Amino acid sequence: MSQFIAGYLPLFDLYLLHLGLAFSQYIVLRAGVFSLATAAFAGIGAYTAGIFAVNLGLHPVLGLAAGTLTGMGAALFLSIPLARLRGVYQAIATVAFIQIVVSLNIYSESLTGGAMGLNAIPKTVGTGVLLIAAVAATYLVWSIEKGRLGRAFDAIRQDEAVAASLGISITWHQALAFAISGALAGLFGGLEAYHSYALDPNQFGFHLLITVLSYVILGGRNSVAGPLIGTAILIILPELARPLAENRLIIYGIMLIVVINYLPKGIADTAIDTIRARRLKRREAAA
Amino acid sequence: MTMLRLSKLSKYFGGVVASQDVDIDVPAGQITGLIGPNGAGKTTIVNMITGMLPVTDGTIHIGDTDITHAPAHTISRAGLARTFQNIRLLSEASVIDNVMIGFHRHETSSTIAALLGLPSAARETMDIQQRAMALLQRFDMADLAEYPAGGLSYGHQRKVEMMRALASEPDFILLDEPIAGMNDVESEGLAEIFRGFAADGKGVLLIEHNVRFVAKLCSKVYVLDGGRLISEGTPDHVLNDQAVITAYLGG
Repeated sequence: MSQFIAGYLPLFDLYLLHLGLAFSQYIVLRAGVFSLATAAFAGIGAYTAGIFAVNLGLHPVLGLAAGTLTGMGAALFLSIPLARLRGVYQAIATVAFIQIVVSLNIYSESLTGGAMGLNAIPKTVGTGVLLIAAVAATYLVWSIEKGRLGRAFDAIRQDEAVAASLGISITWHQALAFAISGALAGLFGGLEAYHSYALDPNQFGFHLLITVLSYVILGGRNSVAGPLIGTAILIILPELARPLAENRLIIYGIMLIVVINYLPKGIADTAIDTIRARRLKRREAAA
Repeated sequence: MTMLRLSKLSKYFGGVVASQDVDIDVPAGQITGLIGPNGAGKTTIVNMITGMLPVTDGTIHIGDTDITHAPAHTISRAGLARTFQNIRLLSEASVIDNVMIGFHRHETSSTIAALLGLPSAARETMDIQQRAMALLQRFDMADLAEYPAGGLSYGHQRKVEMMRALASEPDFILLDEPIAGMNDVESEGLAEIFRGFAADGKGVLLIEHNVRFVAKLCSKVYVLDGGRLISEGTPDHVLNDQAVITAYLGG
């Protein structure tokens, strides 16, 4: 039994790491910002944490704090020009931002190790720390969703004019969503750095963007269960179909097309809607 | 007495005059009408008051507060709520969520408390939920609380929009063509609600197409044509004004 668990522990670690990134992506979409910059913030957080440990020899807690803060800082900085854009233009701008971060990590060789990556990072983060971080992130997103911020995010996402007419500041709330997204991505990027010995600049590129976005689209964009379920499915699936694991991206692509066509709200949100509709119908029948 | 006051309000799009030197007073506790044929500039006025369109010239005050150049989201804090010409609900959200969002300007728990889900934020959410439920009961819609707002009938959607506007406890309410597309029974129901607003001491600015409806409800009516006020006064006076008849029927 313990051997079985040990065999799947790396997969569980990956789930926890990517769960944090999925929440980072989720929270901006929730607030009506079509930003895809999570991969870039994760890269910034990871490299900051890595440099803190390797070049400066500082304690991992400091490195994680620095990764979180730089991720958040970059997000806040990016939120200023993005506030002027909407929809697909935000997506394009953030994809460009990811490429810029990848390029900077490749070219500033003295600091980041360039294309060779940042190596020999001491491994200081295990499953326990990841679990704590993932639970904390889940709680954070859950409490946002329950409270006034979640209500404001929902209003902005669905109709900005209505939100403004009710006194909701769009700029402020979207900047806040960005800051949370950047902080989450920075933190989990930092955790990744301390968990995996080495960083490769291309690890935080377009591929990660697609992966993280798939978690949220597959799982659902409007409830905290969405990223939890989406990430689980897309991490476990290639393992179940191990012969196809090489073609992970093809599986992702097919699943996304199927989900977008048949469950446009994602698995969790569709399930929640169905349950709610059933409950209402039952109540109607009883009345 | 507090008043929503537009003075010498003007809007030019390049050389096109959308609104010129418009003076309107909306006193508290009364329903004031603003009518005019299509293209008269009614929506331009609404958009200027609500901060969606920058004002070219003139001022807008709520009481002593100048909101002429205030950003859209701060105008609600000055005590003004609005409804939209085409009903705009959060269609994915349930009815009660749609009403709860109206309380936004009265939510005072700190951002940190909201982020961390501290008891103060949770209490506030509970409190707002109860107040929203009370509103739903008042409007006889408590049974529909859990239903998605997008699936309701037109009349019910209007009511949800009214409740959302009321939730912010405004001093003034701007109603942009509220009875468009409604039959007489439905519009009479809404008329009762509007009279209730005025009886509560709120100032109501009713922007309408339907002259009969306006005449029935308003104590004072302004008539707009080509961006200018062409008449004002009691409904009787306005409806018999030759300039108004010409504007509506063509001369």
